[in-house]
Amino acid sequence: MVAGSGRKKNRYHFDRHTPEYRLQFEKTTEEMQAKCPMAWTETYDGHWVAAGSKEVFELARCPVVSNDHDINGERSGYQGITIPKARRASVVRGGILEMDDPEHRTYRNVLNPYLSPAAVKRWEPFVDEIVRASLDEKIEDGRIDFVDDLANIVPAVLTLAMMGIELKKWAIYSEPAHASVYTPEHSPDADRVAEMNRQMGIDLLTNMLEIKENPRPGMVNALLQLRIEGQPAPDMEILGNLGLIIGGGFDTTTALTAHALEWLSEHPDQRELLSREREVLLNPATEEFLRFYTPAPGDGRTFAEDIEVEGTQFKEGERLWISWAMANRDPSVFDEPNTIVLDRKGNRHFSFGIGVHRCVGSNVARSVFKSMVTAVLDRMPDYRCDPEGTEHYETVGVIQGMKHLPATFTPGPRLGPGLDETLDKLQRICDEQELARPITERKEAAVID
Amino acid sequence: MKVFVDSQLCQGHTLCSMIAPDSFELSDIDGTSSPVTEVVAPAQQDAVREAAHSCPEQAISIEE
Repeated sequence: MVAGSGRKKNRYHFDRHTPEYRLQFEKTTEEMQAKCPMAWTETYDGHWVAAGSKEVFELARCPVVSNDHDINGERSGYQGITIPKARRASVVRGGILEMDDPEHRTYRNVLNPYLSPAAVKRWEPFVDEIVRASLDEKIEDGRIDFVDDLANIVPAVLTLAMMGIELKKWAIYSEPAHASVYTPEHSPDADRVAEMNRQMGIDLLTNMLEIKENPRPGMVNALLQLRIEGQPAPDMEILGNLGLIIGGGFDTTTALTAHALEWLSEHPDQRELLSREREVLLNPATEEFLRFYTPAPGDGRTFAEDIEVEGTQFKEGERLWISWAMANRDPSVFDEPNTIVLDRKGNRHFSFGIGVHRCVGSNVARSVFKSMVTAVLDRMPDYRCDPEGTEHYETVGVIQGMKHLPATFTPGPRLGPGLDETLDKLQRICDEQELARPITERKEAAVID
Repeated sequence: MKVFVDSQLCQGHTLCSMIAPDSFELSDIDGTSSPVTEVVAPAQQDAVREAAHSCPEQAISIEE
Protein backbone atom coordinates (compact mmCIF):
# COMPACT_ATOMS: atom_id res chain seq x y z
CA MET A 1 0.00 0.00 0.00
CA VAL A 2 1.14 3.53 -0.77
CA ALA A 3 -0.23 6.50 1.13
CA GLY A 4 -0.97 9.34 -1.27
CA SER A 5 -3.06 12.42 -0.69
CA GLY A 6 -6.58 13.59 -1.45
CA ARG A 7 -9.55 11.36 -2.22
CA LYS A 8 -7.36 8.54 -3.48
CA LYS A 9 -4.94 8.58 -0.58
CA ASN A 10 -5.27 4.86 0.11
CA ARG A 11 -3.58 3.28 -2.89
CA TYR A 12 -3.03 -0.43 -3.40
CA HIS A 13 -1.73 -2.30 -6.41
CA PHE A 14 -4.67 -4.61 -7.05
CA ASP A 15 -4.73 -6.90 -10.07
CA ARG A 16 -7.10 -9.79 -9.59
CA HIS A 17 -6.40 -11.21 -13.07
CA THR A 18 -2.86 -12.34 -12.19
CA PRO A 19 -1.95 -15.83 -10.92
CA GLU A 20 -0.23 -14.14 -7.95
CA TYR A 21 -3.54 -12.71 -6.77
CA ARG A 22 -4.96 -16.23 -6.48
CA LEU A 23 -1.88 -17.54 -4.70
CA GLN A 24 -1.68 -14.61 -2.28
CA PHE A 25 -5.39 -14.09 -1.79
CA GLU A 26 -5.38 -14.41 2.00
CA LYS A 27 -2.37 -12.12 2.44
CA THR A 28 -3.79 -9.48 0.08
CA THR A 29 -7.16 -9.64 1.81
CA GLU A 30 -5.66 -9.28 5.29
CA GLU A 31 -3.47 -6.39 4.19
CA MET A 32 -6.27 -4.48 2.46
CA GLN A 33 -8.74 -5.02 5.27
CA ALA A 34 -6.21 -3.85 7.87
CA LYS A 35 -4.94 -0.81 5.95
CA CYS A 36 -7.27 0.14 3.12
CA PRO A 37 -10.66 -1.66 3.05
CA MET A 38 -11.52 0.97 0.42
CA ALA A 39 -8.58 1.45 -1.92
CA TRP A 40 -7.73 3.09 -5.22
CA THR A 41 -5.74 0.99 -7.66
CA GLU A 42 -4.10 2.23 -10.85
CA THR A 43 -4.73 -1.05 -12.73
CA TYR A 44 -7.14 -1.16 -15.72
CA ASP A 45 -7.30 2.63 -16.12
CA GLY A 46 -7.75 3.05 -12.38
CA HIS A 47 -10.62 1.90 -10.20
CA TRP A 48 -11.77 1.63 -6.60
CA VAL A 49 -11.67 -1.66 -4.72
CA ALA A 50 -14.02 -2.42 -1.83
CA ALA A 51 -12.39 -5.16 0.25
CA GLY A 52 -14.00 -4.80 3.69
CA SER A 53 -17.40 -6.22 4.59
CA LYS A 54 -18.76 -2.84 5.72
CA GLU A 55 -17.58 -1.04 2.57
CA VAL A 56 -18.96 -3.79 0.33
CA PHE A 57 -22.25 -3.76 2.26
CA GLU A 58 -22.73 0.00 1.88
CA LEU A 59 -21.63 0.28 -1.75
CA ALA A 60 -23.45 -2.77 -3.14
CA ARG A 61 -26.72 -1.38 -1.80
CA CYS A 62 -26.04 2.24 -2.71
CA PRO A 63 -28.65 3.61 -5.16
CA VAL A 64 -26.12 5.71 -7.13
CA VAL A 65 -23.79 2.77 -7.74
CA SER A 66 -24.73 1.55 -11.21
CA ASN A 67 -24.60 -1.86 -12.94
CA ASP A 68 -25.55 -0.39 -16.30
CA HIS A 69 -23.68 -1.47 -19.39
CA ASP A 70 -24.35 1.06 -22.14
CA ILE A 71 -23.14 -1.01 -25.10
CA ASN A 72 -24.14 1.49 -27.81
CA GLY A 73 -23.23 4.68 -25.98
CA GLU A 74 -26.85 5.81 -25.76
CA ARG A 75 -26.90 6.89 -22.11
CA SER A 76 -23.93 7.15 -19.81
CA GLY A 77 -21.31 5.03 -21.56
CA TYR A 78 -20.92 2.91 -18.40
CA GLN A 79 -19.22 -0.44 -18.80
CA GLY A 80 -21.30 -2.82 -16.70
CA ILE A 81 -19.88 -5.39 -14.33
CA THR A 82 -16.55 -6.37 -15.88
CA ILE A 83 -13.21 -4.68 -15.13
CA PRO A 84 -11.57 -4.37 -17.57
CA LYS A 85 -14.32 -4.55 -20.16
CA ALA A 86 -14.15 -8.08 -21.62
CA ARG A 87 -13.97 -8.23 -25.41
CA ARG A 88 -16.78 -10.76 -25.54
CA ALA A 89 -18.92 -8.46 -23.38
CA SER A 90 -18.90 -5.62 -25.88
CA VAL A 91 -21.63 -6.95 -28.18
CA VAL A 92 -24.43 -8.03 -25.86
CA ARG A 93 -25.32 -6.53 -22.48
CA GLY A 94 -25.20 -9.02 -19.61
CA GLY A 95 -28.92 -9.21 -18.94
CA ILE A 96 -30.34 -8.05 -15.60
CA LEU A 97 -26.88 -7.97 -14.04
CA GLU A 98 -25.98 -5.07 -16.31
CA MET A 99 -29.21 -3.13 -15.83
CA ASP A 100 -30.34 -0.70 -13.17
CA ASP A 101 -33.85 -0.35 -11.82
CA PRO A 102 -36.52 0.10 -13.07
CA GLU A 103 -35.37 -1.76 -16.21
CA HIS A 104 -33.70 -4.48 -14.12
CA ARG A 105 -36.89 -5.07 -12.13
CA THR A 106 -38.99 -5.47 -15.28
CA TYR A 107 -36.88 -8.38 -16.52
CA ARG A 108 -36.17 -9.85 -13.10
CA ASN A 109 -39.88 -10.14 -12.31
CA VAL A 110 -40.14 -12.41 -15.35
CA LEU A 111 -37.39 -14.76 -14.12
CA ASN A 112 -38.24 -14.91 -10.38
CA PRO A 113 -41.22 -17.34 -10.63
CA TYR A 114 -38.95 -19.86 -12.38
CA LEU A 115 -36.14 -19.61 -9.84
CA SER A 116 -37.74 -18.99 -6.44
CA PRO A 117 -37.20 -21.54 -3.64
CA ALA A 118 -40.66 -23.03 -4.27
CA ALA A 119 -40.05 -23.15 -8.03
CA VAL A 120 -36.69 -24.87 -7.66
CA LYS A 121 -37.99 -27.38 -5.12
CA ARG A 122 -40.23 -28.89 -7.83
CA TRP A 123 -37.13 -29.88 -9.79
CA GLU A 124 -35.42 -31.84 -6.99
CA PRO A 125 -36.40 -35.35 -8.19
CA PHE A 126 -35.29 -34.35 -11.69
CA VAL A 127 -31.91 -33.12 -10.42
CA ASP A 128 -31.36 -36.25 -8.34
CA GLU A 129 -31.96 -38.33 -11.46
CA ILE A 130 -29.32 -36.47 -13.52
CA VAL A 131 -26.90 -36.90 -10.62
CA ARG A 132 -27.73 -40.60 -10.36
CA ALA A 133 -27.11 -41.17 -14.06
CA SER A 134 -23.87 -39.16 -14.08
CA LEU A 135 -22.50 -41.21 -11.20
CA ASP A 136 -23.72 -44.47 -12.75
CA GLU A 137 -21.51 -43.74 -15.78
CA LYS A 138 -18.47 -44.01 -13.49
CA ILE A 139 -19.51 -46.02 -10.44
CA GLU A 140 -18.22 -49.36 -11.75
CA ASP A 141 -14.85 -47.91 -12.78
CA GLY A 142 -13.72 -46.63 -9.40
CA ARG A 143 -12.50 -43.44 -11.12
CA ILE A 144 -14.28 -40.16 -11.82
CA ASP A 145 -13.43 -36.59 -12.68
CA PHE A 146 -15.81 -34.64 -10.46
CA VAL A 147 -15.66 -31.64 -12.79
CA ASP A 148 -15.99 -33.33 -16.19
CA ASP A 149 -18.22 -36.24 -15.18
CA LEU A 150 -20.52 -34.64 -12.62
CA ALA A 151 -20.32 -30.94 -11.79
CA ASN A 152 -20.20 -29.78 -15.42
CA ILE A 153 -23.18 -31.93 -16.39
CA VAL A 154 -25.86 -31.44 -13.76
CA PRO A 155 -26.07 -27.61 -13.65
CA ALA A 156 -25.97 -27.50 -17.47
CA VAL A 157 -28.80 -30.02 -17.97
CA LEU A 158 -31.01 -28.41 -15.32
CA THR A 159 -30.43 -24.89 -16.62
CA LEU A 160 -31.38 -25.91 -20.17
CA ALA A 161 -34.47 -27.71 -18.86
CA MET A 162 -35.59 -24.58 -17.03
CA MET A 163 -34.98 -22.47 -20.11
CA GLY A 164 -36.95 -24.82 -22.36
CA ILE A 165 -33.99 -26.01 -24.44
CA GLU A 166 -33.42 -29.67 -25.32
CA LEU A 167 -31.48 -31.50 -22.61
CA LYS A 168 -29.32 -33.51 -25.01
CA LYS A 169 -27.75 -30.25 -26.19
CA TRP A 170 -26.09 -29.69 -22.84
CA ALA A 171 -22.54 -30.21 -24.17
CA ILE A 172 -22.95 -27.49 -26.85
CA TYR A 173 -23.56 -25.08 -23.99
CA SER A 174 -21.43 -26.49 -21.24
CA GLU A 175 -18.03 -26.52 -22.93
CA PRO A 176 -17.95 -22.90 -24.09
CA ALA A 177 -19.60 -21.71 -20.85
CA HIS A 178 -16.66 -23.09 -18.85
CA ALA A 179 -13.85 -22.64 -21.36
CA SER A 180 -14.62 -18.98 -22.01
CA VAL A 181 -14.19 -18.31 -18.28
CA TYR A 182 -10.76 -19.90 -17.94
CA THR A 183 -9.30 -19.24 -21.40
CA PRO A 184 -7.53 -15.88 -21.58
CA GLU A 185 -7.97 -13.92 -24.79
CA HIS A 186 -4.26 -14.30 -25.66
CA SER A 187 -4.37 -18.10 -25.24
CA PRO A 188 -3.61 -20.33 -28.28
CA ASP A 189 -6.92 -22.03 -27.49
CA ALA A 190 -8.90 -18.76 -27.68
CA ASP A 191 -9.97 -19.28 -31.32
CA ARG A 192 -11.36 -22.73 -30.61
CA VAL A 193 -13.25 -21.39 -27.59
CA ALA A 194 -14.58 -18.47 -29.63
CA GLU A 195 -15.83 -20.94 -32.25
CA MET A 196 -17.59 -23.02 -29.58
CA ASN A 197 -19.14 -19.83 -28.25
CA ARG A 198 -20.36 -19.00 -31.74
CA GLN A 199 -21.99 -22.45 -32.05
CA MET A 200 -23.68 -21.94 -28.69
CA GLY A 201 -24.91 -18.50 -29.76
CA ILE A 202 -26.35 -19.95 -32.96
CA ASP A 203 -28.16 -22.71 -31.07
CA LEU A 204 -29.52 -20.21 -28.57
CA LEU A 205 -30.78 -17.97 -31.34
CA THR A 206 -32.30 -20.95 -33.17
CA ASN A 207 -34.13 -21.94 -30.00
CA MET A 208 -35.36 -18.39 -29.50
CA LEU A 209 -36.80 -18.27 -33.02
CA GLU A 210 -38.38 -21.73 -32.65
CA ILE A 211 -40.00 -20.79 -29.35
CA LYS A 212 -41.21 -17.50 -30.80
CA GLU A 213 -43.03 -19.50 -33.50
CA ASN A 214 -44.19 -22.35 -31.27
CA PRO A 215 -44.16 -21.34 -27.60
CA ARG A 216 -43.07 -24.01 -25.10
CA PRO A 217 -42.65 -23.56 -21.35
CA GLY A 218 -39.43 -22.14 -19.93
CA MET A 219 -37.50 -18.95 -19.34
CA VAL A 220 -36.85 -18.38 -23.05
CA ASN A 221 -40.59 -18.21 -23.62
CA ALA A 222 -41.11 -16.04 -20.54
CA LEU A 223 -38.69 -13.43 -21.87
CA LEU A 224 -40.28 -13.61 -25.32
CA GLN A 225 -43.73 -13.06 -23.82
CA LEU A 226 -42.61 -10.04 -21.80
CA ARG A 227 -44.22 -6.78 -22.90
CA ILE A 228 -42.77 -3.40 -21.98
CA GLU A 229 -45.28 -0.62 -22.62
CA GLY A 230 -47.03 -2.98 -25.00
CA GLN A 231 -43.89 -3.87 -26.95
CA PRO A 232 -41.86 -7.11 -26.87
CA ALA A 233 -38.43 -6.85 -25.28
CA PRO A 234 -35.61 -6.26 -27.79
CA ASP A 235 -34.11 -9.54 -29.04
CA MET A 236 -30.64 -8.46 -27.94
CA GLU A 237 -31.81 -7.92 -24.35
CA ILE A 238 -33.48 -11.35 -24.37
CA LEU A 239 -30.26 -12.90 -25.68
CA GLY A 240 -28.25 -11.06 -23.03
CA ASN A 241 -30.45 -12.44 -20.27
CA LEU A 242 -30.26 -15.96 -21.70
CA GLY A 243 -26.48 -15.61 -21.83
CA LEU A 244 -26.50 -14.50 -18.20
CA ILE A 245 -28.61 -17.49 -17.17
CA ILE A 246 -26.11 -19.81 -18.88
CA GLY A 247 -23.02 -17.96 -17.64
CA GLY A 248 -24.42 -17.70 -14.12
CA GLY A 249 -25.95 -21.15 -14.00
CA PHE A 250 -23.09 -23.32 -15.25
CA ASP A 251 -19.57 -22.47 -14.11
CA THR A 252 -20.35 -21.12 -10.63
CA THR A 253 -22.10 -24.20 -9.27
CA THR A 254 -19.42 -26.38 -10.86
CA ALA A 255 -16.76 -24.32 -9.06
CA LEU A 256 -18.48 -24.56 -5.69
CA THR A 257 -19.04 -28.31 -5.93
CA ALA A 258 -15.50 -29.08 -7.07
CA HIS A 259 -13.93 -27.03 -4.29
CA ALA A 260 -16.15 -28.57 -1.63
CA LEU A 261 -15.43 -32.12 -2.84
CA GLU A 262 -11.72 -31.37 -2.90
CA TRP A 263 -11.78 -30.04 0.67
CA LEU A 264 -13.86 -32.97 1.90
CA SER A 265 -11.32 -35.36 0.38
CA GLU A 266 -8.57 -33.60 2.30
CA HIS A 267 -10.61 -33.74 5.53
CA PRO A 268 -12.05 -37.27 5.71
CA ASP A 269 -13.16 -36.88 9.34
CA GLN A 270 -15.19 -33.79 8.42
CA ARG A 271 -16.56 -35.64 5.40
CA GLU A 272 -17.81 -38.46 7.61
CA LEU A 273 -19.28 -35.99 10.03
CA LEU A 274 -21.09 -34.12 7.25
CA SER A 275 -22.45 -37.37 5.83
CA ARG A 276 -23.59 -38.67 9.21
CA GLU A 277 -25.14 -35.43 10.43
CA ARG A 278 -26.34 -34.04 7.13
CA GLU A 279 -29.82 -33.33 8.53
CA VAL A 280 -28.34 -30.51 10.62
CA LEU A 281 -25.02 -29.88 8.88
CA LEU A 282 -25.78 -29.81 5.16
CA ASN A 283 -27.38 -26.34 5.16
CA PRO A 284 -24.70 -24.53 7.21
CA ALA A 285 -21.91 -26.46 5.45
CA THR A 286 -23.28 -25.35 2.07
CA GLU A 287 -23.27 -21.73 3.21
CA GLU A 288 -19.75 -22.15 4.58
CA PHE A 289 -18.43 -23.56 1.29
CA LEU A 290 -20.17 -20.67 -0.46
CA ARG A 291 -18.51 -18.17 1.88
CA PHE A 292 -15.05 -19.68 1.73
CA TYR A 293 -14.84 -20.42 -2.00
CA THR A 294 -17.04 -17.53 -3.29
CA PRO A 295 -17.38 -18.87 -6.87
CA ALA A 296 -18.18 -15.42 -8.32
CA PRO A 297 -15.57 -13.35 -6.50
CA GLY A 298 -16.95 -9.89 -7.19
CA ASP A 299 -18.60 -7.46 -9.58
CA GLY A 300 -17.70 -4.20 -11.23
CA ARG A 301 -19.85 -1.10 -10.85
CA THR A 302 -19.78 2.57 -11.88
CA PHE A 303 -20.60 5.60 -9.74
CA ALA A 304 -23.55 7.39 -11.35
CA GLU A 305 -23.20 10.48 -9.12
CA ASP A 306 -20.64 12.12 -6.86
CA ILE A 307 -21.11 10.65 -3.41
CA GLU A 308 -19.38 10.11 -0.08
CA VAL A 309 -19.59 6.63 1.46
CA GLU A 310 -17.79 5.49 4.62
CA GLY A 311 -15.59 8.59 4.54
CA THR A 312 -14.42 8.30 0.93
CA GLN A 313 -15.55 10.69 -1.81
CA PHE A 314 -16.31 9.14 -5.17
CA LYS A 315 -16.84 10.95 -8.46
CA GLU A 316 -19.41 10.21 -11.15
CA GLY A 317 -17.99 7.86 -13.79
CA GLU A 318 -15.38 6.26 -11.53
CA ARG A 319 -15.30 2.50 -11.55
CA LEU A 320 -15.49 0.20 -8.54
CA TRP A 321 -14.69 -3.46 -7.89
CA ILE A 322 -16.86 -4.94 -5.15
CA SER A 323 -15.11 -7.99 -3.76
CA TRP A 324 -17.58 -10.49 -2.33
CA ALA A 325 -14.66 -12.90 -1.86
CA MET A 326 -12.63 -10.53 0.29
CA ALA A 327 -15.64 -9.32 2.28
CA ASN A 328 -16.33 -12.98 3.04
CA ARG A 329 -13.00 -13.16 4.89
CA ASP A 330 -13.46 -10.03 6.98
CA PRO A 331 -12.43 -10.84 10.59
CA SER A 332 -14.82 -8.19 11.93
CA VAL A 333 -17.71 -10.37 10.71
CA PHE A 334 -16.24 -13.91 10.72
CA ASP A 335 -14.15 -15.51 13.48
CA GLU A 336 -11.24 -17.38 11.96
CA PRO A 337 -12.22 -16.21 8.48
CA ASN A 338 -9.66 -18.39 6.69
CA THR A 339 -10.90 -21.63 8.26
CA ILE A 340 -13.81 -23.74 7.06
CA VAL A 341 -16.21 -24.33 9.96
CA LEU A 342 -19.03 -26.56 8.75
CA ASP A 343 -21.51 -25.39 11.38
CA ARG A 344 -20.48 -21.72 11.34
CA LYS A 345 -22.95 -19.37 13.03
CA GLY A 346 -23.85 -15.88 11.83
CA ASN A 347 -22.62 -16.70 8.34
CA ARG A 348 -23.59 -13.41 6.74
CA HIS A 349 -21.72 -14.12 3.51
CA PHE A 350 -22.09 -12.16 0.28
CA SER A 351 -21.41 -14.98 -2.18
CA PHE A 352 -24.66 -14.34 -4.05
CA GLY A 353 -24.13 -10.60 -3.95
CA ILE A 354 -26.34 -8.28 -1.94
CA GLY A 355 -28.91 -5.65 -2.76
CA VAL A 356 -31.36 -5.82 -5.65
CA HIS A 357 -28.94 -7.88 -7.76
CA ARG A 358 -28.84 -10.88 -5.37
CA CYS A 359 -28.06 -13.86 -7.62
CA VAL A 360 -31.39 -14.78 -9.19
CA GLY A 361 -30.24 -18.42 -9.44
CA SER A 362 -29.08 -18.79 -5.83
CA ASN A 363 -31.77 -21.36 -5.03
CA VAL A 364 -30.81 -23.44 -8.06
CA ALA A 365 -27.14 -23.35 -7.07
CA ARG A 366 -27.80 -24.56 -3.52
CA SER A 367 -30.19 -27.26 -4.60
CA VAL A 368 -27.92 -28.69 -7.31
CA PHE A 369 -24.86 -28.51 -5.05
CA LYS A 370 -26.62 -30.42 -2.27
CA SER A 371 -27.87 -33.12 -4.61
CA MET A 372 -24.40 -33.71 -6.07
CA VAL A 373 -22.53 -33.68 -2.77
CA THR A 374 -24.92 -35.96 -0.90
CA ALA A 375 -24.98 -38.46 -3.79
CA VAL A 376 -21.19 -38.58 -3.78
CA LEU A 377 -21.15 -39.05 0.00
CA ASP A 378 -23.62 -41.92 -0.34
CA ARG A 379 -22.19 -43.71 -3.34
CA MET A 380 -18.46 -42.93 -3.16
CA PRO A 381 -17.95 -42.46 0.58
CA ASP A 382 -14.23 -43.28 0.48
CA TYR A 383 -13.31 -41.20 -2.60
CA ARG A 384 -9.87 -39.61 -2.72
CA CYS A 385 -9.05 -36.75 -5.03
CA ASP A 386 -5.81 -36.97 -6.95
CA PRO A 387 -3.79 -33.78 -6.37
CA GLU A 388 -1.57 -34.60 -9.39
CA GLY A 389 -4.48 -34.43 -11.80
CA THR A 390 -6.31 -31.57 -10.07
CA GLU A 391 -6.34 -28.39 -12.08
CA HIS A 392 -7.51 -25.07 -10.65
CA TYR A 393 -8.14 -22.03 -12.83
CA GLU A 394 -4.86 -20.22 -13.10
CA THR A 395 -6.53 -16.90 -12.33
CA VAL A 396 -9.68 -16.19 -10.32
CA GLY A 397 -10.59 -12.74 -11.61
CA VAL A 398 -13.91 -13.92 -13.04
CA ILE A 399 -14.74 -17.29 -11.45
CA GLN A 400 -12.82 -19.18 -8.78
CA GLY A 401 -13.15 -22.50 -10.57
CA MET A 402 -11.56 -25.80 -11.40
CA LYS A 403 -10.88 -27.49 -14.73
CA HIS A 404 -10.35 -31.01 -13.43
CA LEU A 405 -10.78 -32.89 -10.18
CA PRO A 406 -10.02 -36.59 -10.71
CA ALA A 407 -10.69 -39.03 -7.87
CA THR A 408 -10.62 -42.75 -7.12
CA PHE A 409 -13.04 -44.73 -4.93
CA THR A 410 -14.18 -48.28 -4.22
CA PRO A 411 -16.37 -49.27 -7.21
CA GLY A 412 -20.06 -49.87 -6.62
CA PRO A 413 -23.13 -51.09 -8.55
CA ARG A 414 -25.05 -49.05 -11.08
CA LEU A 415 -28.55 -48.03 -10.01
CA GLY A 416 -30.06 -47.33 -13.42
CA PRO A 417 -29.47 -46.42 -17.05
CA GLY A 418 -26.62 -44.19 -18.19
CA LEU A 419 -26.72 -40.50 -18.99
CA ASP A 420 -27.96 -40.50 -22.61
CA GLU A 421 -30.87 -42.84 -21.91
CA THR A 422 -31.69 -40.89 -18.76
CA LEU A 423 -31.69 -37.57 -20.58
CA ASP A 424 -34.14 -39.00 -23.15
CA LYS A 425 -36.41 -40.08 -20.33
CA LEU A 426 -36.08 -36.76 -18.51
CA GLN A 427 -36.84 -34.89 -21.72
CA ARG A 428 -40.08 -36.83 -22.07
CA ILE A 429 -40.97 -36.12 -18.43
CA CYS A 430 -40.12 -32.46 -18.89
CA ASP A 431 -42.42 -32.24 -21.92
CA GLU A 432 -45.28 -34.35 -20.54
CA GLN A 433 -45.37 -32.71 -17.12
CA GLU A 434 -44.46 -29.23 -18.42
CA LEU A 435 -41.91 -28.87 -15.67
CA ALA A 436 -40.53 -25.63 -17.07
CA ARG A 437 -43.70 -23.71 -16.29
CA PRO A 438 -43.35 -20.99 -13.62
CA ILE A 439 -44.47 -21.62 -10.02
CA THR A 440 -47.53 -19.47 -10.71
CA GLU A 441 -48.77 -22.07 -13.22
CA ARG A 442 -47.50 -25.34 -11.80
CA LYS A 443 -47.01 -26.19 -8.12
CA GLU A 444 -46.39 -29.96 -8.22
CA ALA A 445 -42.94 -31.54 -8.04
CA ALA A 446 -41.58 -33.52 -10.97
CA VAL A 447 -42.53 -37.20 -10.93
CA ILE A 448 -39.81 -39.52 -12.21
CA ASP A 449 -41.53 -42.66 -13.52
CA MET B 1 -39.94 -11.26 21.69
CA LYS B 2 -41.14 -9.83 18.38
CA VAL B 3 -39.56 -10.18 14.94
CA PHE B 4 -39.87 -8.01 11.82
CA VAL B 5 -38.61 -8.34 8.26
CA ASP B 6 -38.09 -5.08 6.40
CA SER B 7 -39.59 -5.83 2.99
CA GLN B 8 -37.64 -2.93 1.47
CA LEU B 9 -34.37 -4.57 2.49
CA CYS B 10 -35.10 -8.30 2.12
CA GLN B 11 -33.78 -9.66 -1.19
CA GLY B 12 -34.78 -13.30 -0.75
CA HIS B 13 -31.47 -14.83 0.34
CA THR B 14 -33.54 -17.45 2.28
CA LEU B 15 -31.01 -17.95 5.07
CA CYS B 16 -33.59 -17.03 7.74
CA SER B 17 -36.00 -19.78 6.76
CA MET B 18 -33.10 -22.23 6.50
CA ILE B 19 -32.09 -21.41 10.08
CA ALA B 20 -35.54 -20.87 11.60
CA PRO B 21 -38.01 -22.64 9.28
CA ASP B 22 -40.87 -22.40 11.77
CA SER B 23 -40.55 -18.65 12.13
CA PHE B 24 -40.11 -17.35 8.58
CA GLU B 25 -42.06 -18.08 5.41
CA LEU B 26 -40.88 -17.32 1.92
CA SER B 27 -42.81 -15.97 -1.03
CA ASP B 28 -43.43 -18.64 -3.67
CA ILE B 29 -42.76 -16.03 -6.36
CA ASP B 30 -39.44 -14.51 -5.35
CA GLY B 31 -38.34 -16.05 -2.04
CA THR B 32 -38.65 -12.87 0.01
CA SER B 33 -39.30 -13.52 3.67
CA SER B 34 -41.90 -12.59 6.24
CA PRO B 35 -42.36 -13.71 9.85
CA VAL B 36 -44.92 -16.48 10.36
CA THR B 37 -46.07 -14.61 13.45
CA GLU B 38 -44.81 -11.33 14.86
CA VAL B 39 -44.55 -12.77 18.38
CA VAL B 40 -41.88 -15.46 18.57
CA ALA B 41 -42.56 -18.56 20.68
CA PRO B 42 -39.91 -19.14 23.39
CA ALA B 43 -38.70 -22.37 21.75
CA GLN B 44 -37.87 -20.51 18.53
CA GLN B 45 -36.19 -17.43 19.94
CA ASP B 46 -32.60 -18.64 19.68
CA ALA B 47 -33.06 -19.68 16.06
CA VAL B 48 -34.70 -16.35 15.22
CA ARG B 49 -31.79 -14.44 16.80
CA GLU B 50 -29.38 -16.53 14.75
CA ALA B 51 -31.43 -15.85 11.60
CA ALA B 52 -31.33 -12.09 12.26
CA HIS B 53 -27.60 -12.27 12.82
CA SER B 54 -27.07 -14.22 9.57
CA CYS B 55 -29.17 -12.05 7.24
CA PRO B 56 -26.83 -10.70 4.53
CA GLU B 57 -29.04 -7.62 4.08
CA GLN B 58 -29.59 -7.04 7.83
CA ALA B 59 -33.30 -6.92 7.06
CA ILE B 60 -34.47 -8.67 10.24
CA SER B 61 -35.03 -6.79 13.48
CA ILE B 62 -35.94 -8.10 16.89
CA GLU B 63 -37.73 -6.49 19.83
CA GLU B 64 -36.78 -8.38 23.00
